Amino acid sequence: MTRVLMLVLLLCAVPAAAQTPDDFFDSRTLHEIRLSIHSADLRQLREHYLEDTYVPADFEWRGIRLRNVGVRVRGLATRSATKPGLRIDFNRYVTAQAFLGMGALVLDNALKDPSFVRERTSMAFIKRMGQPAPRESFGRVYINGVYEGLYAFVEAVDSVFLARELGDGLGYLFEHKFVNGFYGEFLGDDYAAYRMRFEPQTHRLESDYTLYAPIRQLFLEVNQDVDMVWRERVSWLLDVNQVITHVAIETFLAEGDGFLGGSGMANFYLHRPVASNVHRLIAWDRDTTFQDVESPIFARAGENALISRLLQFRDLRAQYLDVLEQCARAAAEDRWLETEIYQMHQLIRDAALTDTAKRGTNEDYELAVAHLIAFAQRRPAFVLDEVAKAR
Amino acid sequence: MRLVLGILLVLAAAPAAAQPSITAGDWLRIDIRARIQGDIRKSEAPIRGDEDGGLDIARRRVGVDGRVKHVDFQIEYEVGAREWRDVYLDYRRFKVVQVRGGIFKVPFGLDENTSATSLDFIYRSRISSRLAPGRDRGVSVHGRVLKNILTYEAGVFSNDGDNARPSNSARVFGNATSAVRVVAHPFRGAKKAMGDLQIGAAMTSSDVPLGFPAVRARTVLGASFYNSDVWVQGRRQRTGLEARWQPGRMSIQSEYIRLTDERRAQSVTDQDLAPLVAQGWYVSGTYGLTRKRNRFGRVEAAVRYETLSFGSNSDETRSTSARADAVLGNSDRATTLGVNWQVNKWVKLQANLIREDIERPSMGPLPERGRFWSRAFRLQLTL
Repeated sequence: MTRVLMLVLLLCAVPAAAQTPDDFFDSRTLHEIRLSIHSADLRQLREHYLEDTYVPADFEWRGIRLRNVGVRVRGLATRSATKPGLRIDFNRYVTAQAFLGMGALVLDNALKDPSFVRERTSMAFIKRMGQPAPRESFGRVYINGVYEGLYAFVEAVDSVFLARELGDGLGYLFEHKFVNGFYGEFLGDDYAAYRMRFEPQTHRLESDYTLYAPIRQLFLEVNQDVDMVWRERVSWLLDVNQVITHVAIETFLAEGDGFLGGSGMANFYLHRPVASNVHRLIAWDRDTTFQDVESPIFARAGENALISRLLQFRDLRAQYLDVLEQCARAAAEDRWLETEIYQMHQLIRDAALTDTAKRGTNEDYELAVAHLIAFAQRRPAFVLDEVAKAR
Repeated sequence: MRLVLGILLVLAAAPAAAQPSITAGDWLRIDIRARIQGDIRKSEAPIRGDEDGGLDIARRRVGVDGRVKHVDFQIEYEVGAREWRDVYLDYRRFKVVQVRGGIFKVPFGLDENTSATSLDFIYRSRISSRLAPGRDRGVSVHGRVLKNILTYEAGVFSNDGDNARPSNSARVFGNATSAVRVVAHPFRGAKKAMGDLQIGAAMTSSDVPLGFPAVRARTVLGASFYNSDVWVQGRRQRTGLEARWQPGRMSIQSEYIRLTDERRAQSVTDQDLAPLVAQGWYVSGTYGLTRKRNRFGRVEAAVRYETLSFGSNSDETRSTSARADAVLGNSDRATTLGVNWQVNKWVKLQANLIREDIERPSMGPLPERGRFWSRAFRLQLTL
């Protein structure tokens, strides 16, 4: 009898101890995160939601409880007092504290996306196309026992992410900060202009020269006349093929606020390996994708100093069209994109409908999902048609 | 700087003048006091308020003290800081019960209640300058009982002293404070060496409002090694133990102080947290190198070992969070070697060599290393 009891107890203990990041980012499960924040701190967080001030909190997921994590409001256009987007830094107050190996986690309030699923579906599609993208899942968030709403849980892009996705945990990583319309023009010699737009996420204590000289050089070279050596010089500082792929995927997804965003470049990270000057792009914040089924395949490409020049090269233009075509086929294959959207919708529907802090009504939610499904059904054919015309 | 130093040295060399004093029979005595201290400090670590390591005129005080019938009085003003220091009346008609009122030092701490002119080291121990209350406005009752074996002082004060008061107004300190200090001379009157032994205990109690405490962790020369950025609210309590013994040419002194601040309803779930604890101790000794004061004055060597630490008692993982139960604090251990030369009644020279060891250097003045040396020289002129 005792042995049986011991065995049962042992089996019960195994799942809790064996939780992995894959479990947390299991998109077939609607998760639940509970935060405890002191009443005064929570009040401050809501009253000063435009500031990046951290407050301490306790974090809990599936019985895993982490004490003294740091929480702050995040976002740009999605900043909100009623449903704050949050960034959780597990190691802000406790050295080396991590949640399933992660140093940070983003709780995206999805206020720009009435369907809730644009962000997660887009990231899944980017990964499907072989590009690095943060993992995501959905869940209910409770603060001090009160349901705050449905959130997307997004893996933070940091050194842990770099190590997992690119095998380069020591690399330089910059988060692009939107300041004003920046279309890839040369910003001048002063590093301050680059520091303002590219916030270091790693190597924070290094000099401006070490951090920003390669970025300044990149935009200097980009803005030279396209001649025999232009591409060679730019390629020394940028993985041009990766950038073309990144932008083509964004374009297929009809992203309105990405590298070719309507207000300039936005929502990306810049990665540079330690022993190299070659930068790559990493996608971030894809909650404004699926804008228009008939969004042009060269939308705003001419406005960007870098992309407009890259597409003057025949092989890069051909690569761009190839990637668009691959995207269309990958989205249409077995109705992958439509199925993803539908499955996510089924998973989150109840939580979304009971989320009273969301922006928009329940009808808006249903209409937004319907729009996405229509997009998934029609976008591949439209893009294939446009690509054929452009060849 | 050299000019000021020169003036100080000239004053030191000047022939001693008589103390300015007014007396009238047994019922009136008024003494005029003045004191100036000049410090030269050098350190491998930053020096708070003296970043260039130059001459610092630490004190420029003027005042009067004396007695009118049964009432002692003292009025002292700090010229540099433009603030009143000791300003009080002390009714001393009866030895057993005497009453003092005004601004004076809260009865807590041996080192803190030793006159600055009589200190064995240039700087008081950190537990005295950081954890003991210092001066405040209040009323106390004091006296000697049991054939002078027991000395007591108990008082109430408007706050918990200027040592606990913030230079940054956003920080909090104690409200109305009660304090009591009892010192026993168990062998008073005995002709043996033990006759001079004194032991004592003291405590203070006050309420501290919600906020970050103004009690800070500082190195000997004032650099921060822990910022005390934790929410406190509730009772503030100090406990002190002290002992001093002066057998012959030697003196030994030791003290322990513990300050606790409650943190009521300050956890992330609005529950109580373990109190913030600041505590430390020191042991110091002096030895007279000259047998008694001669025409060259009196010279003595001094050594002190002291600690000051901040943290909380909790089994949880240490954290820098303002609401952590287990506060990731820090501690500093300092060893001071000193030489004191009392040239005459009015002039005193002191030199100190200090080695400090910070437990967590990343919080200290030199993040890359925890151990550093400082040295200080003081010229003190007293009238």
